Amino acid sequence: MANEIAAAAVPAGAGADWASLARGARRKRVAGQSGLLAFLLIVSVPIVLPFFWMVVISFTARSGGVSTDVLWTSCAVIAPAVLIYVVVHSLSPSPRLRLVVGVALLATVAALLAALVGKQFHFGNYRFLWDANIVEEIRSKATAGGQFPSVWRAFFNSLALALTQTIIILAVASLASYYISRFAFRGREAFLQGLLVLHAFPAMTLIIPIFLILFWSGLLDTLAGVILVLATIELPFYVFVMKGFFDGVPWDIEMSAMTDGASRRQAFLLIVLPQVRVGLIAIAVFAFIRAWEEYIFVRTLLIENKNWVMSLYLFWVSDDIMGVDYGIVAAVSVFYVLPSLLLYVFCQKYLTQMTIGGIRG
Amino acid sequence: MARIELRNLRKDWAGAAAVSQIDLAIDDGAFIAVLGPSGCGKSTTLLMLAGIYNPSSGDITFDGARVNDVEARDRNVGIVFQSYALYPNMTVLQNVMFPLRFKKVVAGEAERRAREISALVRIDSLLERRPSQLSGGQQQRVALARALVKRPHLLLLDEPLSNLDASLRLSMRTEIRRIQRELGVTTILVTHDQIEATTMADRIVVMNAGRVEQEGTAKDLYEEPRTLFVASFIGSPPINLFDGRAQEGGIKVHDALLALTAPVTGDVVLGLRPEGVRVESGGRPARVVAVEPMGREVLYSAEFALGNVRFLEPGADARHREGDNVTLGFRGGEALLFSRETGLRVAARVAA
Repeated sequence: MANEIAAAAVPAGAGADWASLARGARRKRVAGQSGLLAFLLIVSVPIVLPFFWMVVISFTARSGGVSTDVLWTSCAVIAPAVLIYVVVHSLSPSPRLRLVVGVALLATVAALLAALVGKQFHFGNYRFLWDANIVEEIRSKATAGGQFPSVWRAFFNSLALALTQTIIILAVASLASYYISRFAFRGREAFLQGLLVLHAFPAMTLIIPIFLILFWSGLLDTLAGVILVLATIELPFYVFVMKGFFDGVPWDIEMSAMTDGASRRQAFLLIVLPQVRVGLIAIAVFAFIRAWEEYIFVRTLLIENKNWVMSLYLFWVSDDIMGVDYGIVAAVSVFYVLPSLLLYVFCQKYLTQMTIGGIRG
Repeated sequence: MARIELRNLRKDWAGAAAVSQIDLAIDDGAFIAVLGPSGCGKSTTLLMLAGIYNPSSGDITFDGARVNDVEARDRNVGIVFQSYALYPNMTVLQNVMFPLRFKKVVAGEAERRAREISALVRIDSLLERRPSQLSGGQQQRVALARALVKRPHLLLLDEPLSNLDASLRLSMRTEIRRIQRELGVTTILVTHDQIEATTMADRIVVMNAGRVEQEGTAKDLYEEPRTLFVASFIGSPPINLFDGRAQEGGIKVHDALLALTAPVTGDVVLGLRPEGVRVESGGRPARVVAVEPMGREVLYSAEFALGNVRFLEPGADARHREGDNVTLGFRGGEALLFSRETGLRVAARVAA
């Protein structure tokens, strides 16, 4: 955009020096891009640095305090490499050069890190993956044995919670939002507004009534109870998002399917659903990650350690050994964050398609 | 293939009639066009035939059997939408085979039929592609093949050529006509383009404001329009219309007094087709104000005794220039008279 304005400002009459104009435009484009990159780099530091620190701690810390030597050493190695790559990337459009420089920098960084901090590197903090008794081991045998379940129990509880949640939300949100998108019924507008209000309503305020309802219905301290509660609270949002996707599917296609001999249900399954595939993937990823990271409700509604999910496991680990062994807390955090991270990395192009009320965001 | 009848068909939307009093009979194998401006109810009528909308009252019959309550999927109607409405998640072949999925056709037979119809509409080289990889004209052919593959009782075309460029539209017109003849399928074309209607269909139904204005061949509609709307809607360049007032001995239009074959009362509208107005000696004086060469003929605008008039002269070269004074005349038998109040044609004609 800035380039277009710049180009328009220079009168390109007869005898204009096209070469110098082009040079100027190129210089502006490079400057603009590097400026943008620099800005993004700077603002991402406060977000990336803590995560990086967590990873560094999990691989280097030993019992006792945490030293920041390793963190700063690795930053000192990595930051210049990133800067060099940014400069190369903005100056050269050739993908081959970029690739070569990138690989060379990666190799250099790896070699330097191995030489400078390689000795501190160890997997000991990850022993919780196969050894359930880490906490007792660290804090002395005085605590009651077997207080901690295996991390895999929490992991599979979390997985069960997140997957069931995702399936419920996919099924209910797709059907409900299709109906809202396609059928005129009495109170449709009010229903839509109700959905928005429900989403804006802080669910946390309901925590005591929900606790009591689950207690009376015998669902307290069960995964099923938490799943029902979370699905109920989250659904309005997903119904709203999916409605936007269904609104984008033209009527003609559905009418066409029905004259072609499909029933309404067949038209929905064979023709309409495939076209909102992106939306379905987006809300599935979102629902999964939301359930995976859920803390407040599971903290309130799950009690026994056989029902712990990953967020509770992390909480109890840090509660019990924070200040004693940061390494293990960091390692559990890394393990906890990994599935979310992978999902984000592989599905980010779908997540950016999320819409609310039909406006692409 | 079927004989289709609509009897006193009506559709209300929120209390107001979108379509009312539609009576139509379409012979087996006929090709008719429903012509009208946008919003006149022609698409609503089409969707009622397809079974997407339920009529508020009236009957639809296929070969004499009432189908009002038969669901869209059981009516065996093929439809081609203006947007083509191809299924983007399927290949061309899958699109064409889709209707056969619900007809208990054996897989091999279904593919054979899909390939056969694809050859007929000349898309047999595109079968593995996705709709997004096709041009507008190709998508149009795929939509046609999909509508035809199940051997429908009735083929509905909803503005099928509107999204094509001019030359493609011309060739698709001929193509659709050829395919319709070859299969002998009863076809209804909905369009707002009179050229499409007159060139493709055997008979034309002109609709306006939810009603049928007139039904007939292109020649009927052009030469003997029943209403002012039909007269002004059909014909390009459009008919010249002049306001007149009944008077002793005829009608007064602007400054001129015209004698009639029979007396009329009240206000009237006089219609003159541009090609019915000729430069001739002994006519009324006029002054040419605009000259528009159109290729085979030249369109002139002139200030005339009756008001501003457009007239056509054959030949590529203009014989008059702006500012020229000419004398214009017309045959009384070619002038059309309508009642201003009702919009209906009146029996009287201009004398001589």
